[in-house]
Order: sequence, then C-alpha cells, then structure tokens
Amino acid sequence: MSQPSQQDEIMAEDAALKGAPAAGIEPVLEAKGLSQGQIVRKRFLGHTGAIIGLVVFAIIFLMAFTSVGYLGIPGWWKYNHEQVSALVNDGAPTSSLWPLAWGEHPFGQDRIGRDLFAMTMRGAQQSITVMVVIGLIAGLLGVLVGAISGYFRGWAEAILMRLTDVIIIIPALLLAAVMAQMAGRRDSGSWFASFASSNGVLALGIFLGLISWVSLARLMRGEFLSLREREFVDAARISGASNARIIFKHILPNAVGVLIVNVTLTMSAAILTETALSFLGVGVKAPDTSLGLLISQNQQAFATRPWLFWFPGLFIVLICLSINFIGDGLRDAFDPRQKKFNAKKAREADAAAGTPAGSPAAAGASPAAEKSAVTAFDGTKDD
Amino acid sequence: MVTYVVRRLMTAALILLGASFLVYLLTAASGDPLEEFRVNNSPQKQALMDARTQLLQLDVPAPVRYFRWLGGAAQCLVPFANSCDLGKNIAGQPVTDALGHALIQTLTLVTGATILAILIGITLGIITALRQYSALDYGVTFMAFLFFSLPIFWVAVLLKEFGAIGFNNFLRDPDVPLPVALAIGLVLGVIVAVAAGGALRRRLTVGAVVFAFVSAVLIYFSATLWFKNPGLGPVVIAIAGVGIAFAVTLLSAGLKNRKALQSSLIAVAVGVVLYFVVQPLLDQATFLMIVLLAVAAVLVGLGIGYLMGGYDRGQSMRAAAITSFLVGGMILLDRFMQAWPSYFDNSRVRGRPIATIGAGTPNIEGDFWILGLDSFTHLILPTMALILISLASYTRFTRASMLEIMNMDYIRTARAKGVSERTVVMRHAFRNALIPIATIVAFDIGGLIGGAVITESVFSVRGMGFLFLDGISHTDPNPVMGVFVCVAITAMGFNLIADLAYSALDPRVRVKA
Amino acid sequence: MRFGRISKAVGVAAAAALALSACAGNSGGSTPSSSAAAGKTGGSATVVEVNAFNTFNPNTADGNTDINSKVSYATHSGFYYIDNKLNVVRNEKFGKMEKTSDNPLTVKYTINDGVKWSDGTPVTTADLLLQWAAFSGYYNDADADAKTGTSYFSYAGDPTGLALTDFPELSDDGKSMTIKYSKPFADWEIALGGPGIDIPAHVLAKKAGLADAKAFVSLLKGMPRGDSKAPKPANAQLKAMSDLWNTGFDTKTLPADPELFLSNGPYVVKTINQDQSLTMVKNKDYNWGPDAKLDEITVRYIGDSAAQVQALKNGEADIIAPQASADTVDQLKALQSQGVTVDQGNQLSYDHIDLNYSGPFADKNVREAFMKTVPRKDIVDKIVKKLDDKAKPLDSQLFVPDQAAYADSVKNNGSSAYQDVDIDGAKKLLNGATPEVRIMYNKDNPNRVDAFSLIRESAAKAGFKIVDGGLGKSDWGKALGKGGYDATIFGWINPGVGVSGVPQIFKTGNDSNFNKFSDKDADKLMDELIVTTDKSKQDGLIQQIDKKIWDSAYGLPLFQAVGVDAYSDRITGVKYMPNQTGVWWNFWEWAQK
Repeated sequence: MSQPSQQDEIMAEDAALKGAPAAGIEPVLEAKGLSQGQIVRKRFLGHTGAIIGLVVFAIIFLMAFTSVGYLGIPGWWKYNHEQVSALVNDGAPTSSLWPLAWGEHPFGQDRIGRDLFAMTMRGAQQSITVMVVIGLIAGLLGVLVGAISGYFRGWAEAILMRLTDVIIIIPALLLAAVMAQMAGRRDSGSWFASFASSNGVLALGIFLGLISWVSLARLMRGEFLSLREREFVDAARISGASNARIIFKHILPNAVGVLIVNVTLTMSAAILTETALSFLGVGVKAPDTSLGLLISQNQQAFATRPWLFWFPGLFIVLICLSINFIGDGLRDAFDPRQKKFNAKKAREADAAAGTPAGSPAAAGASPAAEKSAVTAFDGTKDD
Repeated sequence: MVTYVVRRLMTAALILLGASFLVYLLTAASGDPLEEFRVNNSPQKQALMDARTQLLQLDVPAPVRYFRWLGGAAQCLVPFANSCDLGKNIAGQPVTDALGHALIQTLTLVTGATILAILIGITLGIITALRQYSALDYGVTFMAFLFFSLPIFWVAVLLKEFGAIGFNNFLRDPDVPLPVALAIGLVLGVIVAVAAGGALRRRLTVGAVVFAFVSAVLIYFSATLWFKNPGLGPVVIAIAGVGIAFAVTLLSAGLKNRKALQSSLIAVAVGVVLYFVVQPLLDQATFLMIVLLAVAAVLVGLGIGYLMGGYDRGQSMRAAAITSFLVGGMILLDRFMQAWPSYFDNSRVRGRPIATIGAGTPNIEGDFWILGLDSFTHLILPTMALILISLASYTRFTRASMLEIMNMDYIRTARAKGVSERTVVMRHAFRNALIPIATIVAFDIGGLIGGAVITESVFSVRGMGFLFLDGISHTDPNPVMGVFVCVAITAMGFNLIADLAYSALDPRVRVKA
Repeated sequence: MRFGRISKAVGVAAAAALALSACAGNSGGSTPSSSAAAGKTGGSATVVEVNAFNTFNPNTADGNTDINSKVSYATHSGFYYIDNKLNVVRNEKFGKMEKTSDNPLTVKYTINDGVKWSDGTPVTTADLLLQWAAFSGYYNDADADAKTGTSYFSYAGDPTGLALTDFPELSDDGKSMTIKYSKPFADWEIALGGPGIDIPAHVLAKKAGLADAKAFVSLLKGMPRGDSKAPKPANAQLKAMSDLWNTGFDTKTLPADPELFLSNGPYVVKTINQDQSLTMVKNKDYNWGPDAKLDEITVRYIGDSAAQVQALKNGEADIIAPQASADTVDQLKALQSQGVTVDQGNQLSYDHIDLNYSGPFADKNVREAFMKTVPRKDIVDKIVKKLDDKAKPLDSQLFVPDQAAYADSVKNNGSSAYQDVDIDGAKKLLNGATPEVRIMYNKDNPNRVDAFSLIRESAAKAGFKIVDGGLGKSDWGKALGKGGYDATIFGWINPGVGVSGVPQIFKTGNDSNFNKFSDKDADKLMDELIVTTDKSKQDGLIQQIDKKIWDSAYGLPLFQAVGVDAYSDRITGVKYMPNQTGVWWNFWEWAQK
C-alpha cells in the first residue's frame, strides 16, 4: 500500500524468469565436481554482504529471544516489556560509549517507566515471529498452489489462478483492519477471537501469510510450467514415477533457488508491512508491543525524546537490511547467471589475447543457461 | 489477439465482481460504525445512533447492501448517461465527487515521484550492473536497501525538518561559509572519486576536479546571493548545452559520428539564440504554450539533424532532437528561476518557500510561473520521500536484468564482431534489459492510483489513500469501495497492457489466443 | 476522528454546567494578561484544524464536526456567546434576550434593527423560529419502533429544554419572539438564539417553494405539535424544508449559489479549496457585535499533530491546537525562542476507573482495597505532569477544579482516603484473598493503556490478579455495561453535564450507569436535583451526591485532560478555551502584529 513493496520486484522477476524459463537448472561448470548445494554454499559464503547480514541477524535473533524470554521462559534481562519501574535519568538512556557502560536502562524508558530495551527486544521478537510465520505460510501455500496449477494445468490451474487474482487485488490494509477487529472481539467467544486476542502477533502473521502467497504462487507456477516440459521430467514419468514424486523429487529441487530467494524477499517486506500496519493502528495492540507500534507510538517524541524513536527504528532497519542482504546473497548464489561480469576485464582479457575481437574469457566459462526459445508464452494468458 | 483481449477483459470483470463483493463484506465487518456514539451520555444518543443506522442502512444485511451498491455502480457503465452512483460517504458527499478530487490530489503527488524514481532507478541499476561488486555497487545497494527499510513517516519528518524548515531558514540569509563550502565540495569529491572507478590516479583526478568545481560554485553562489536571485543566464546555458551535446551524442550515436555531434552543437547554438527571442513570449506563458514550445524544440532538433545528414541521418536527428529538448528545458528552468524572487517575496509565501504540507499555498495568485513554483515547492518534499523509498526495487531489478543480459550469447557475439562497448551496452543490452522492466513499470502505474496512505497523511494531502483509510476507520463501505474499484480497474488494465507490451517487445513471447 | 466529532449537545451542556457554576479562571499556561492586545486592524492569519469542512449547517447529526461549527461561529452571530471562563456573554448589539417571568419560565427574544444577512435581507424572528423548530423537534411524530410518522429536522443537539416549550408568540414587526416553558429549565440562556443564528429562513422557504419567510411562519403556525402516538402524514412543504436543512448545505466546495452560505456574522466565506483550506474575509456590513480585526482568516486542515507543529515552525500556519501530548508540548515549547506562544489548560473531559458492583467487586471491602492500590499520583505524574506541571489527581466525581464548589466537595466527600497508594491497607481489607480482576479499556488510547499498566503494577502488589481486558477502539464502547469485565478505565466529558447529566450516569438503572451503581439516598437526591433551579442549592445537592458516590467505593476519577494551543509571533489575541470551540471563541480579537 504505502510503500512500493518488494513484491514488485518479485513480480517483475516472475516476468523475467518466464522469458528465460530454463533458469537455475544446470549448475555452472565453474567448479567441477561440486554438487549444487556445495556450489550454492560456496557462492553464498563468498558474498560479503550476505555474510555480514547473516551475522547481524543472528546476533539480533539471539539477543531478542534470550534477553526478555519467550513463551514463558525467563530471559537474562532484568525487566520485561510490561514491567513499570521508577524513572531513572528522566527516561533518557543510561548507556554510554565512553566510558563504556550499560547502566540501568540502556535504551532509556518510556513515559511511565517501562524499559525500552526490553520493549525493543520484545518488539524484535514480534517482528521476527511475524516474518517467519509469513515466510512459512506464504512459502508453503505458494509452492502448493503454484505446483498444482503449473503441473496439472487445466481446471485446477484456472480456479487457483482466478483465486490468486482475486486475492491480489484485495487491499492488505482492509484485511488487516478486519483481522484487528476480530482479534478485538474477545467476548464473542469464538475460538478464533480468543486465539487472536492472546496471540495477536501470531494471528497477524498468519493473516498476512494467507494473503502474501499469491505472488510466490504465480512465480512457482511459471517455474513449473517450463520445468514440466523438460526431458528429465519425461524420463521420470516414463519410468513410472507418481505425480507427487515428480513434483517433489524432480521439479521442486530445481525451483528451490527461486523459491528461497523470493521467500526471503517476502519476509523482509513482511517486517515493513507489520510496521506500516501497526503505524496505521491495525497491527499489534498495546500493551503488547512490536517495533512498528513502538515507533508509531513515539513518532512525536522524535524531537524531544529521540531515543524512544531511534532504537526501535534502528532495529527495524537492521533486521530489514540484513534480511535483504541475505536474500541478495542467496539470489546470487542460486542463480548461476548472476556471475561476476566485468566489462573492463573482458576488454583487458581481449587485449591480452591479442585478438581485437576475442571471446570475453573473463566473463565466465560457458553460457549460463541454455536459452531455448519459448514458442508460446502461456503466462500472459492469466496475469 | 482480439479474442485474447476480450477473454481477458471478461475474466477481469468476473474477478472484479468477486473481489468487490468480498471487499464490501470485509469493510462492513471491519468495525462498529456507531462507536463514536456509544460512550455518549447525551439524551440524544439513541436518536443519533438511529440516524447513523439509517444513513448507512445498517438494518439491512451487508450482502443486500452490496447489491444495492452494485446497482448504483452498474450505472457507471452506461456511457454518457451521467448517472453514476457510488453512494455517499458518512459526511453525505457523493463518493464520485470525493473520488474525483482525491484522484487529482493523488496523481499530482505520485506522478512526478514515480517517473523520477523509474528514471533514477533504471540509471542506477545499469551503472551498478556494469560495475558489479564495485564500491559503487555496494554503496548503491546499501543505500537502496536502507531507504527501502526506513519507515516513510520518519523520512518525511526528517525531510520537513531539514529540507523545508532548515532550508527556508538558510534562504533567509543564504550565506555559505567558506569551510562549509569546502566541506561539501570535499564530501562530493570523495563520493565521486569512490564511484568513478578506474585507476587510482584517475579517481583522484576526477575527485579533485569535482571538489574544486563544487566548492568554487558554492562560494560564488554565496558571494552573489544566488540562492535569493537564482538564474542560469545564456552563458551557463551555452556551456552546459555544449556539455549536454557531447553527452547525448556519446550515448546515442558515439562521438565518432561527427555529423551527429555537429548537429547537437548547432542545436545548442540555436537554443542560445532563441533564449533571447522567447523571453517576451514566456512572460505570458500558459501550460499549453510550454507544451507547444517543447514540441517545437524537438522538431527544430529533428530538422537540424536532417539537414546535417551524415552517413546515419537518423542518429544525427535523434541526437539533435534530444539535445534541443534538454536545452529547451534549461531555458524553462531559467525562466522559473527568474520568477523565484517574486515568488519568494509573495505576501502569501512570506519568504518561506519550501512547504511542509498541502498541495498549494491557499489563495495564492500569480502567473504561470508563480503558480508553477508554488506547486514545485509543495511537491518537492513528498516527491523526494517517495523516490527514496521506491528507488530500491527499480535499482535492484534493473541490475539483475542487466546482469543477466550481459551474459547472453548475442552480447558475446556483438563483442566478437568488434562492436564498441557503448553500442553493446546502449544498443544490445540496455534495450533488452528494459523488456522485463516494462512489466514492473506497468504494474506500478496500476498500483499508483491507490495513493500512498502514510505519505498522504504526513504531508496532509487528502488523496485516495486518505479516502480509503478514512472509510475504513469509520466503517463506511462506500468510499472504500470507490477507491477499491478505481485501483482494481487500473491495476488489471495495466496488467493487461503489460502482458501485451511484453509480447510486443519480446518476439519469443506470443499471446496465445 | 475520535476527538473531532464530539457531540455538540454534550459540549454545550458541559459548557452550561460550568457556566452555571460561575467559576473562576481556569487557564494555566502563559496566556498574556487581559485583552488589550496591541494588534492593528487588517492582516491575515492561518488557523489549523484537524478535519475538513463539509457543511454550512453544523447542527445536523452528520454535520456537527468541530470545523463546521467553528466556521459557522465565525460567520454568524446571535444573542450570546460563551467566553473562555465559560460564562454566557450577551451580545446586546445583536438583540435582547430577557427572562420576563419565572413561573412559568418565559423568555423574550428581540432582534435589533439593522441586523441582516449578507444578501441584505434583515434577520427576523422567522430565522429564530426556524432554529426553534429544528432544535425543539416540535413537529416530529416519528416512532422509531413502530416505523411510523416523520422526523423532520435531524438535529444533533439536546432537545430536552425546548421540547418543554409551546409554539412561540411572534410580534407583528418580525423582531421579537417569546417562548414559554412548561417546567423550569435551568439552561434557558443557551437553549436558543446563539452562538449563531445560522440558517436563513427566507432562503429555505424560497428553495422549498414557499413565497417568503412570512409564508414559512404561517405554515409553522398552522401545524400542531407532532405526536408519535398519533402520527400524521408528512407535511410536504415542511419536509422539503427540513430535507434542505438536513443535507442542502452540505458541500466541500464553495456553492455557486451564494444564498447557501449567507453570513450574518463578522466574516463571510470567500473560497473553499476542497480538503485543503477555507478562507473567510470580513463581512463589510457587520456592526452588531464584537469588531473583528483581521481582514482574512484561512483555515487549513492538517490531521497529524507533528505536521501541525512543523507547519507552525515553517510559518505555514499561525495558530494551531494540536492534540496535546508531552512531546507536542515539548516541541512547541522549543519553538518559544522563535516567538511562538504556547497556552495550556484543562479540558472538559476526564479519565476515571469505575468498578462494577458485581463479580469480585460485589464486596465493598474488595472495591475499597482496589481503590487503595490505584496509584493516582503516579498516573498523573507520568501521563499529564509533563503537559501541565500543576496537574493533580481529580478528587471529585461530579465537579472539576475550575468549579467553585469543587474545593468544598473534595473536603467532605471522602476522597482524602485515596490520596496515596496504601498497599498494606489494601492487604488488610483483602484479608488474604487474591481476587481476579479483569480491567477493560480502549487499547488504542495510549493514556488508557498507560494508566492500565500502572494500575496493574500496583494492584498486583496487594495480591490482585489483574487480567488485561483491553479492547480495540471499535469494540470497547460496545462492551460497556455488558459485563465481561470487573473494572473499566474510560473518560466522560465532564461529570456534571448539566443537572440532567448526573442521574444519566449515577441513577439506578439508567442508560449510562454502566457499573450498576445503586443508592437509594443518592437516587432521591438526584430526583430533587432535577427540579431545582437555584444554582447554590444545586451545588449543595451535588455535593451530597458526590459524597454518597465516594462512600460506596464507586471507583476513582483519575485526571482531567489537558489541552494546548500555540500561535506564532505574527499574531496576538489568541486565548485558550477549554470547550470544543477552542481558540475560535474570540476570533474577533485575533490581530496581526
């Protein structure tokens, strides 16, 4: 809604991949004798940004889940996000860089004396939970719907794709408002209401997951459409493999790159969605908290008590950045076409070879992916 | 082809029906329209609640209400009947009126931002792809993700604080102290040196030149109070024009094409002469006149290129046309700058030109230039905010697309036959990389109508997003439905266009009718 | 919008309650003393409002948002206005309003010569009669349950007072009108004829197909009082007029027909920029009331408080009244160096916690114990102290500190027992029990959420098991009075909403008595209160009721809401006002430096 989401990217990539349906199947021969997994791992570990992202995310994850405790397990930090204590230093952060000190309330306190570090950690927990829930649900549903419609085609595809079309144009904000409304109806006695009111953020995540699978489903469908026509699928079919076996054992592993990359991107967009929804008052409700709710509650404190705004904001940015970089690294690792290309080096190599029009040796060993001309672009029929 | 389009349109209509039914029910279920009256201890409480119930027909079940709404909405399909009825909102305004107004507000807000974001994003994407894994690449990637991750209201508040309030304070006494000028120059110099690429020596030289130039310009501006009386003047236009001529020729035809270069340079010369000719004309400018002048500028450019000829007449014409268009743009910019002091001193503006809210200064009066500047000063901040957050997807996507193309066989073939790197990038790679981008752009334009809820609320623009959000918060389905229908129709329309364009651009893709 | 659409009825009645108690000054902050503002005549100012203007008739149920009322206030005049000390100030230049008899209560309105609409038509009793017909609901015979009869004017305010009157006596010259009440009515001063006579009867008559205002008067004269038990077919002409009254003035742009926005006040609307701004200029003819100084007032709509502050800082706005929060106030105070003046003061609403007389709280000892644990001082310190450093916990259920009777009532009502948290006392009362208490509140209101957190923290120390029963903003209102919780934190707009407001909340079995408080003596006192017109006697009765309420451990008032306004150094004459007219109450004194 408010921010052009990363889904655009996924969407457009969808289009791009349809144009080049053979993507990501044949491992590049740049490292002979390695399995696909090894190649991916090697490439991923070689991606500086992704590694930094991974480390930062791991630290945040550990900090968030161990400091204030989770699911009733107590954490090592002395306060929790609901506990009120006397205002120290008028709520300003007690931590300092020089001399390096942690203090009583390192991130400060809000106006009634809750510890902002505990609240931020709780918020990070919530954001990560939302992110993981959305990633799981969207990934699962997206693969299922995409696989069924792409593999079986026919009426199953028609129905499922119409369904995604309907869902894709219903505004997320509206759904979230309805969700928040149902979660608020504690007294109505329905199991959903009682679940939602006690696990607000989980319900929000499930809800968002239930609507954010659509772009992934389209993408997976595109992958399946092209992969099912490949020879190895024919071979499997002839040797008597069941449909389920072909889908899960033969096709899915070949599409896993696209899947993982896009799930990470969906996840990073999910954090921002949660932030935006909490900002608009339809996300997580006080006194529970989330990063989005914290900054929206404290946006007016921007000039006067900046710490209330900066710390949660910093964590949103950090989580989002690290996830994006991890996703970027995974994309580079899984997509053999994304190899290092350098025009200058290509030219230098040409010059070294002495031939003015030599082949760009530095650009890589063999063409990345075979480009079979697509005769019928089925995708357009539906999207 | 026609059957394909017709079939698509029919499916779209069915989807719209289904989705609108769902949206109506969801909106009706999303809250309590009588909330504001519940904790009211006035004796009129019941009467007020009854009135609201009657207004929103709350005694009728939501599905029935939907079909009533649909009955009114269906009349919109009758051409020229002018009987469109999308219901009324809670304040009694017909939704069609509210939508019309909101649509204009939203489009003024987002159009410029979207176009600029696309242009900048694609440019950055290409550059980072050509320099994959360079400092520039990492820098742009980091900034793009950073801005993407920032909550927009935060960006907006910062922009207002520094871009509007701070800049206006600066304009009151536009004096750049020497150390500041040097520091700004130094920072820009370092950035350019890092981004430039090439050998260390070359980077240092480029950085030094940028540093010297920026600092000198800032000192000059400060000394002459340029910020109070900005302007380009024929000299700057001529110098910059020559630069543009070289750059345009380099990108569109290659400097080796002397005729193209000469055409562009002549176009610049003509532009500088015309600068003096059109000044009196511009004093009575209207929007239509500016458009006509722009068309004329392009035609003049084409004419120059045609007359110059050369081995590739088309290239000359293109280079000259682009150059003359850009020079024309500079003349326009110069004229706006000339109007700046009178805008600055306008009694409504009171010397604080950059605005933080709204779409225009209330009750401002003036000619085309004053009003144009007024729109500019109001749109600049929201536009910047929107660009910053939407840059990421365009940059990243263009980069990926470009990288993919650069490894294609035909690129290798092109290189192999000795085509220059410029031609490889501009002719072979860039154009093909644009194909998938066309899809994402079409998609974005579809979504653009929906407005930017948060940006609108922070900058106090009451556009589509505000209408939608207000409808939801009052549990008032009519405006929500109005916005939804607009957004859904444009989104699906542009989706179709994107698919058609895709098959038109990529010969491998065929529309299966 | 929660704060925007305060019912006019409640607001006016609240103003009346305070006005009748003849209170002393209330505004805190740094209001420059007395009026003698050195502003010159002329110039312009930009005022910020939250909502967008949408109708020229602010009296309808759908039109009574703040902004509509304020624009109407600036463009119309009447027999009185309410000042920021909540006194009713008569405008004798407009006309005379006098009580000619006490028994039966009779009020005579006389409009001065020369008072006219901006199209030149004089303002007559026909206009006043239209207002009476709309406000009294005299002709309505609708029965909501049986779905019979007609409801003509959809008036948002409280018709109880004027419903006691019979068809007015009109003088032949069209300048004076007399109404008679069948019972004494304390708020007669603000029942009719102000602050603005806003809808011109001659325009309405003409548009509804009547010859002129006289035909309108005779039409009304000929119709009997509506009776919902014996509904009659709707009168087509009156129906046409009331429909026009209800929706005909709704617009977001300046109507092409100037008759739809006639002014009889200091200003007249000049331009409306839909959803962006509205501009008013001086009404040249106007000389029947306070003389306005500014030539032009522009209203801009900004919903976001932070955006309002930044607009003021950037000079785009001159006067703002953002929703008060500690951060907004701090930001505004930071602007004082730039010449901005900040005013703060109390508002007419207050937050309180009510205990249900059922469940764990059926036992008075448990209620008392719980009340002893409520950290009222802490709540005030943390929630409102930053806004207003003189803030104190509210100690009366029925008075606010601005009222003279507040101090007396507080001395005797027993509130002194709950000044400080007394965990030991609470434990003693609980005697080892650990009752489970579910507290309901609005999760979308940060003040309520914070108050809840503080109460939970403290009550848990005494052994209470607190369950978070907070609900979203669209649900908590519905849940009020339905049970499912044991205590609730919410706000009333003033405890003593007129004398009729007291039994609304506290009398056995009444609509707004959500926690089912019931006390025979209190009921008797309230019955007596309603028929008492003597102000000092009223105060005495209310004091007694206040004590009864405290004695029964009803719950606790927490704090009074704080309001804030700020204006730039270009402008003088702006003054704080506690009711929802806000800074607009003396717009004629605004001047440019």
